[in-house]
Amino acid sequence: MERSRMWSPLLIATLIAIGCGGGKPQEASATPDAPEGRPVQVAEAPAGAQPAVGGSSAVIQGTVTLDGQAPKPATLKMSADPVCQQAHSSPVYAEDVVASAQGQLKNVFVYVKDGVSGTYPAPATPVMLDQNGCVYKPHVFGIQVNQPLEVANSDPTAHNVNAKPTANTPFNTAQPSNKAPKVKKAFAKPEVMVKFKCNIHPWMSAYAGVVAHPFFGVSGDDGSFTISGLPAGTYTVEAWHEKYGTQTQSVTVGDGESESVNFTFKAQ
Amino acid sequence: MTHLNSVFFFHQARHVDAHGPLRYNALYTFMICRCQCIRWFPPAQIQMSLWAAALFAGLLTWGVAPAWAERPSPDAAAGRAAYDQYCARCHGASGKGDGVDAKRFYPRPRDLTMGVYKIRSTASGTPPTDQDLFDIITKGLPGSNMPDWQQLDEPTRWALVDYLKSLSPAFEQTQPVPIELPQDPGLRRVDLKKGKALYEQLACAACHGAAGRANGPSAAGLVDDWNMPIRPADLSQGWSYRGGNEAKAILTRLLAGIDGAGMPSYIDTITAMEHTTLEDAWHLAYYIASLQEPAHWNMIARARWISGALPSTPDDPAWTSVESTDVRVRNVVTAVGEWANPPTVRAIRFQVVANHEAMAIRLTWDDPTQDPQADAEASSPAPDAVALVLKPAGSQGDVVTLQAWPYAEAPKLDVSYWASDLERPREMVANDFETFVARPMADRNDVGALSSAAKYEDGRWTVVVQRPLAPVEPDGAAAIDPGAFTAVAFAIWDGGNPTARAVSSWVDLVLHQATHAAE
Ligand SMILES: [Cu+2]
Repeated sequence: MERSRMWSPLLIATLIAIGCGGGKPQEASATPDAPEGRPVQVAEAPAGAQPAVGGSSAVIQGTVTLDGQAPKPATLKMSADPVCQQAHSSPVYAEDVVASAQGQLKNVFVYVKDGVSGTYPAPATPVMLDQNGCVYKPHVFGIQVNQPLEVANSDPTAHNVNAKPTANTPFNTAQPSNKAPKVKKAFAKPEVMVKFKCNIHPWMSAYAGVVAHPFFGVSGDDGSFTISGLPAGTYTVEAWHEKYGTQTQSVTVGDGESESVNFTFKAQ
Repeated sequence: MTHLNSVFFFHQARHVDAHGPLRYNALYTFMICRCQCIRWFPPAQIQMSLWAAALFAGLLTWGVAPAWAERPSPDAAAGRAAYDQYCARCHGASGKGDGVDAKRFYPRPRDLTMGVYKIRSTASGTPPTDQDLFDIITKGLPGSNMPDWQQLDEPTRWALVDYLKSLSPAFEQTQPVPIELPQDPGLRRVDLKKGKALYEQLACAACHGAAGRANGPSAAGLVDDWNMPIRPADLSQGWSYRGGNEAKAILTRLLAGIDGAGMPSYIDTITAMEHTTLEDAWHLAYYIASLQEPAHWNMIARARWISGALPSTPDDPAWTSVESTDVRVRNVVTAVGEWANPPTVRAIRFQVVANHEAMAIRLTWDDPTQDPQADAEASSPAPDAVALVLKPAGSQGDVVTLQAWPYAEAPKLDVSYWASDLERPREMVANDFETFVARPMADRNDVGALSSAAKYEDGRWTVVVQRPLAPVEPDGAAAIDPGAFTAVAFAIWDGGNPTARAVSSWVDLVLHQATHAAE
């Protein structure tokens, strides 16, 4: 009951946004099914027209590198909660800096900061965040404005999902066990980044990049990221790292082209 | 810390803590009166009449003030002036929670510029309503050092509400989302068994403990939103619930969460559960309320005077008919005035049975960990311990805590020290506070005159110490006179929280009421 009251303005806003394009209501279910990275410019689409996707085929990809010796990762001490301790047979390390021997830097959130025009409705597909072995999985992720977020607890112990945004409304929701329902939330405004923490297990943290469009990615084990489905244009791309801060680069990419943007963070 | 300061804080803090709704300035007067006139009136009479008056005043003021509160038009100048005069001392000139007295306190005064408020009736992450803020100012936060401000007239309190809101952008950025409570089933239709089941299902015990004594397995590792260690509430201590201890207040905390403190909101959790409705949360709220134990903050503690043998074990049925007195304990502030750790022991309850030869005192206090642990893998080598400090001459109006001991010409203190690793308690004479606060206690003597029995169960120590009325140490304090006031105070150590040691203020104890009244 409470929830529906809280959500109703959001629902109305979504309906209005859909209404702007003149599309029929059922398109609301059609548009969010668009795969991530495929822009759906509802606002600019003429009445009754199919969402414009043609021509949005530019790609920005690259690799994030750490210049210098990565700090030795801290071993997470989970002895405070035997359930967490027993979930692991080998040491678990903090994920604030994860770099390969070659310096490929993982968990960097890369997104188009400026240059994107048009409206990109949130996909209906939720972004999943799991608490597993008393660690957030994934540690860094991207999510679109108003896209559903579902936080699961896979541990037979209590967590509290405590999100600390500043532009968005914070929340701290209990998730008493792996039998507890998922915590379902969404962020109404862009914000890079939103931190998640658990007051019961102080070592737990995760970061979400909330962006108004689908043009973002997170660097993987090999430090690489890919942002695809962009319209041709000139963009400012920002890379965020939990410890090393942010960097931006400008890039111009044409239809069907793939431009490479590499970032290098200096180890402190 | 100066003597004067400690007197001031003793008055302010103790009475606010123990009796949230009471006006501390009124109690200040009350205390002074008590200290001066106690010599000329039988204690029972004073106690009865003053307590009745105080209780009545408390009932009158608690909870009803806002009902007719008409909100005046905003007065920025008045708000600022009142803030500077009454709030800045703790919350700081700019509201950052860094006032001159801030470091003395646990919990710390709130940083008001962040706009994060614990006691709200609104959805987690949204600011409190104006009424929430007004209520906090009006009622204070029991169990903390935030007093109630009923001494300020209502327009001033409303002006403060507006001023507080101006200190943080949170109020402009986010609107409060008030939580609508489901219909209260009332005491008659409440099912405490359902409440208990929810307490388990929602893992309340993980932090608050199975019996609510703040001893859950996760209690020691909790942090607040700024990664500072924080302890869960001891739910058996109803007087320490910051936002009030009635079922409605408890339900509000459950659904809204306590922002900043780690206590999450359960509204979404319960709403999404199968076979459970939000209405069922009332059962839990009433169940939590049922965990509270009444506290008796007696100014004068009376022993039961008997002619036979004294009770010697914690579970002796004789204790059930003995008056109990609760005393707040406060953590000792280190030299620089910083808290080392959040306190784990917040109060102690005692009962006394005496005869012509000796006295037996039963001490009960909540301590989340038994130290040293019975098993070999003790996480902490330090024992849990308590010192029963006796001052045979009575408190004589001495209202300072043990921390400020001694003052000029202070008498010697008679200390009976019990520790979980000792076979029996030890007796010592202390000239000053540091003598018995410092570990190890080099000059404690195992004189064999004292005996004890103890048990630890569900996060609670119950210890019985028996000691003779005659001085135990040859050069010790005077013998205890059953008909006169004997001042008692306590120092408590939690081995699992070794930097936190707590001391109480003095309470006057009368062993033999008849002897005393006949004087
Ligand atoms: Cu957790």
